[in-house]
Formats: sequence, C-alpha cells, structure tokens
Amino acid sequence: MPSCLQQDSKVSLPLKNIQVNGDQERMMAELTETILPTDNTPGAMVLSSHLFALMMVDDCFKKEEQEKFIKGLQQFDELSKKKAGSSFVKATAAQRTALLKEIENKKDIPEEVLAFYNATKRLTIQSFTGSRYFLTKISPYEMAPGRFHGSFPVANFK
Amino acid sequence: MGVTNDKLKYDAIVIGSGMSGGWAAKEFCEKGLKTLLLERGRDVKHIKDYPTTNMYPWEFKHGGQVPAKIQEDNPVVSKCYAFREDTMHFFVKDVEHPYVQEKPFDWIRGYQVGGKSIMWARQTQRWSDYDFEGPARDGFAVDWPIRYKDIAPWYSYVEKFVGISGNKDGLATLPDGEFLPAWELTCVENYFKDFLAKSYKDRHVIYARCAHVTKPEPIHIEQGRGQCQGRALCQRGCPFGGYFNANSTTIPWAQKTGNLTLRPFSVVHSIIYDEKKGKATGVRVIDTNTKEMIEFFAPVIFLNAAALNTNLILLNSTSSRFPNGLGNDNGLLGKYIAFHNYRARISGKYDGFKEFTTDGRRPTSAYIPRFRNVFKQETDFLRGYAAGFNSFRESVHQSTDGLFGEELKNKLTAKPEPGDWNVGSHMMGETIPKETNYVTLDKEKKDEWGIPQLKISVVYDDNDEKMTKDFIEQMTEMYTKAGFTDIKTSDSKNSPGLDIHEMGGVRMGHDPKTSVLNKWNQLHACPNVFITDGACMTSTSTQNPSLTYMAFTARAADYALSQLKKGEL
Repeated sequence: MPSCLQQDSKVSLPLKNIQVNGDQERMMAELTETILPTDNTPGAMVLSSHLFALMMVDDCFKKEEQEKFIKGLQQFDELSKKKAGSSFVKATAAQRTALLKEIENKKDIPEEVLAFYNATKRLTIQSFTGSRYFLTKISPYEMAPGRFHGSFPVANFK
Repeated sequence: MGVTNDKLKYDAIVIGSGMSGGWAAKEFCEKGLKTLLLERGRDVKHIKDYPTTNMYPWEFKHGGQVPAKIQEDNPVVSKCYAFREDTMHFFVKDVEHPYVQEKPFDWIRGYQVGGKSIMWARQTQRWSDYDFEGPARDGFAVDWPIRYKDIAPWYSYVEKFVGISGNKDGLATLPDGEFLPAWELTCVENYFKDFLAKSYKDRHVIYARCAHVTKPEPIHIEQGRGQCQGRALCQRGCPFGGYFNANSTTIPWAQKTGNLTLRPFSVVHSIIYDEKKGKATGVRVIDTNTKEMIEFFAPVIFLNAAALNTNLILLNSTSSRFPNGLGNDNGLLGKYIAFHNYRARISGKYDGFKEFTTDGRRPTSAYIPRFRNVFKQETDFLRGYAAGFNSFRESVHQSTDGLFGEELKNKLTAKPEPGDWNVGSHMMGETIPKETNYVTLDKEKKDEWGIPQLKISVVYDDNDEKMTKDFIEQMTEMYTKAGFTDIKTSDSKNSPGLDIHEMGGVRMGHDPKTSVLNKWNQLHACPNVFITDGACMTSTSTQNPSLTYMAFTARAADYALSQLKKGEL
C-alpha cells in the first residue's frame, strides 16, 4: 500500500485531550510557517511553533475550545481543497498565501475555521515573542532592571 | 510507635509561620525564649525553595498560563490574580483542602513556612484614628480597645525591621511611617495627584507604601537582604530578599538565636486547656507525615494560623470549661467576620504626555486614601474605600489584524510604537462586621486528620452595594474631570474572599461580654493565649492589613514577655 494513503500517521508529541494525526501536525507546521516564516530571524519551523500551539491547545484550552479548534482544523483543510484545489500541505506557496488572505478578510469563512486560525496565529505569535531569541535579541527581557523611571523621554527609549 | 525525638516543653509556642507568626517567633527567640514554631505545611527556605525565582519567561512551558485541568479542578484558587504558572506551587489547591461554602466564599490559602507572606501584595499603609474610631463613631461592631497612639510605636518598630518604601505625605488619614526611598510615580500619576489636590478637598494620590528595601539600612544587610531590583516578580520569592516575607526575614532571624524550633508538617488539632490551672498548657499537633498526635507544652501560646484557621482551631479546642470553643463564653467566636470589598474597577486612557513613557519596572503603584465619610458621615452608606491608581503606557506591537508572513514578521520585530497611556483603579472597601457573617465547624465533614472542616457563611450587604456604586460614580467623575477618556467601569460581583483580607471572628474589645480578646490580644477567658493575626480585627478599615497584624504581634509579644517576667501568665 502506498505510504501516501496512510491516514493515521503518528503525532510527534504526547497529547492528552485532543486527537491530532501526523498529517494534521504537518499541516499545522506548514500553516504556522506561512504565518511566521523563517527569514533572517527564526520562524515557526525553527521555533516548532506548531508543537507549541498543539501543546497549548491540549493543556490550556477548555474542552469546548478544544472541540472548536479541532473542528476548525479539519474544516480548514477542506476549505483549502475547495479554494486551492488541494490540501494545505500540497498547496503552493501562492495558494497558501491566497487562502490566508481570504481568511484574514473574514468574508464567508466558517466560524470554526476562524476560531482555529485565530488561535493558531495567536499561539504562533506567542511562540515567537515569548522565545528566548525574541526576549534576548529583539526586545531584551531584563530579569532585574533595578530602576523605574516614570517620565522617561520616548525619544531615548530603546 | 509514638517514638519521637521531639522536645515537648518550650517557653512559647507559636502556631503559624506566616506574616504574624514569624514576628511572634522572632520576638520570643530574641528575648531568649525557647520557641516552638508550628507550621501545617512544608518548609520553604529562603531562595533555595523558590524554584521559579530566576526563570526567564521562555522557560515556562505554558508561557505563564495555568493549565486548564488545574483550573477546572481548582476553581476557587484559579480566580486569584497571583495564581499563575510561576507561583502556583505556593497556593493551596481546592482539591487538597476542601471547606464548606454555606455561601460562596473564595478562600485563598498558603500552607507552607512563610504562609501567604511569600505571595502577598506588599502594601503597607498604616491605620489612623479615623479607622480605629470607626465602630464607636458609626455604631457598628464594638469599640476598638486601642487607639493609634497605642500602636504607633509598634508600627515604627516593625517598619524599621521590615523595610518600608514610602513618602512622607503628611496626611492625618494615613499617618507617615519609617520610610526608605520611594519608587517614582509616572507623569500621569503626578498629573492626577496635582489635579485632585486642586479640584477636591481632601482627595489625594500618594505613592503606595510597600514592604520593599529600596535602600538597605544596616539592619537589612544584617538580615542578609539586599536592595529591591524592581523585578516585580515578587510572588515567586525574591533572591535578593528585596521585599519582606517571613522566610527571608523573621524566621531566619529567630533561627539565628538558636532558640527556635521550626516544625513543618504539623497541623494543630486544638489548644489544650487545663481546668485545674485555669489556663492553656499546650497544643495537640498531628504530624502529617507520621499521622501521630503529639502534645507540646508551653506557658504562652500565640495563635497565628491566618484569620479563618485561627477561628477553626479555637472552635475545635473544646473542654468542659469551654464546650463551644476556647475563650468562647459569649458565643461570639467565629462571628463578625468581615473582609474588603474589591469588586469594582475602573480604567481609562489619557491623551497627553506623549513624549514620555516608563522605563524599568517597580513593585508598587499609586494609592488614593479613603476620602468618603472620613471626617463626618456624608453618604447613605457607612465608611468608605481606598483605591489603587496605576498608569502605564502600552508598548505593544499594536494590532496584528490582517497580517501574516513577512508583513507580520516585520511588525513583530520592529521597534514598538508607544501606545496610549492607560490608567486604572481598583476598589478597596471597608465592610461592616455582622453577627450573620460567620464561620463554624461543619458537623459531618472532616479533613484527612479528622478535624472538622470549616463552614463559611459570609455575604455582601446593602452597605457594600451602595459603596460599590459610589466608588464607580465618584471615580468616574474624578477620571472624567481629569480628562481621562475611554472610561470603563466594572463590578465583578465576585464572592467575598478574593481580597484575601478576611478578618475577625475573635474580635478585640473592652468588654468580655461583647468581645473575645482584650486590648493586648489575649483571650479574655484564657489570657495565656494571644491572637494577633486577622482573626483579632474588630473592624477592617480599608488598608491592606498585614502591617497592622505585624505591629499587633510585636506589641502583644512584648506584653506577654513582661507578664511572663512578672509570673502573671
């Protein structure tokens, strides 16, 4: 049997509450990289944003939010097939961009797809702005600033 | 079985190692008393047992969020603002220590050495006579048996040791103390301060005094504490000892004398009353590891188990002399519980000072002392409220709506544009102690040690509703007149308890018929038992109460020592 017909490949992180298969995980990887591409700074692939997102949905979402997320995840791929003619993983970069543009415009997008997309985008952003890279190189987090200025000139702010 | 290496006789026993118990232990040990400090929970050693204290944001698995399963299993503690991924190990989980809510009450607890002093909000405003005279003037509860002059020197005594950051504001309603330097207010806070001063009689914005060592004095160096670094991660425990908690300050100080025996894992079942001697002789303790019950003895006992658990221990300390709980001759024990009303909030924006922002972090904010009904009764409700006042400039990456790919990445990595100045206040309202707000022992339900569970029946009343409404009205007026925009108000309708300022049940008073404790915090009917935690409070005023508990404790310990010397206890 050709491997491409294998439906339930395994997911690469232990999930307790939501059920996601390997194909869906791969789709999440492609989607998060489309949202946050790797360029001269780390993107979703480098940060494993898709695994962070799945872990957060599994651990921190309420049951009804998880159900909506999973429904949206399935519908998202169906939407891709409908709009781009292929699953998101197989779609070209241009097709992926076109689909995300449509979703961002929010016109005639199923509620579950929007909920899934918005959650994934928010968590992808969080995986970036909460990363060691971001908090040391882009916006350095100070563990012990030792100062507070209440009227600090904006012009001097780094 | 029953073999123990424990020494069973001490000069003093202190029940509870938190905010006030730590002070009792320090005072006794310093004066040479062999002191047993009992703690129901585990030990927490300063720095060593603060597992998250030096963790960077990216080291937290869930970015600081408490997982949903923990929240679902523990709905009460999950409502607490300080219960986060970095601090949750210091909070009692609902499932571990159930209690009975006859009326909904969010009981927030910290069962460990240091108690809630590890996670407190560190606000330290003194009471004044406008607070102590409240019950007598307005005809509720009973008259406080003390006045400001009785406690003022003890405030100073405690403040010098703890380290309090503040400004001398010269307000009669909120007396000045022994202050270390203040952190700065923001330009918006200073603007609002000036605005209120010129627009209202007796409404003020001040820097909120807080238990932070902003400039260490020799005493703080001697304690091994250093300067506050403005981490604002205080509830994890501070590696600098920059803020006060029992773990960094009072307990090690007591230990240094060689007179302290700190015994964690020791749940106090009850206080032992000797009918022949007519006084308490010791305490019954259940060792939570061995399940063994052990009796310890001492001529003086300080009960500092935190307000409601202090009530529980007294109610469970029955004898033929005191069938309804130790010291409970008048049936008042457990009654007149009060708290602080923190329901209302207000927020807004200020369209000015665009050229300024803030830099660094500070562990406090500004404070609006009570201005309602202070000098005379002026509204259709009794007493009043203080308020926090905080401002910050949003420096977010604005909206990421519609953005993905390269555009999103550019937005996130660009220097953030400073956003609006945001302002906000929360209400800290005095509530009126009432007989109908009480705690009692549940008749059937027991904890895992066989001790009855506490049943809590505490609700808001009409006075609280009117006061909440007034806070929203007055603050809205003040914010509007000051030119704040986008004003939003809310009433959380939270159950009592989330203020974590539950007080009373063992109130002080002049008369043994109408109170349980005398002016020295001794049980009227059993004077070698002292209660100096929140349970002793006759009324609540509006100030965060820990500083007052510490001052009461130092004062009562001094009195107990003098009485011991005279052979009076």
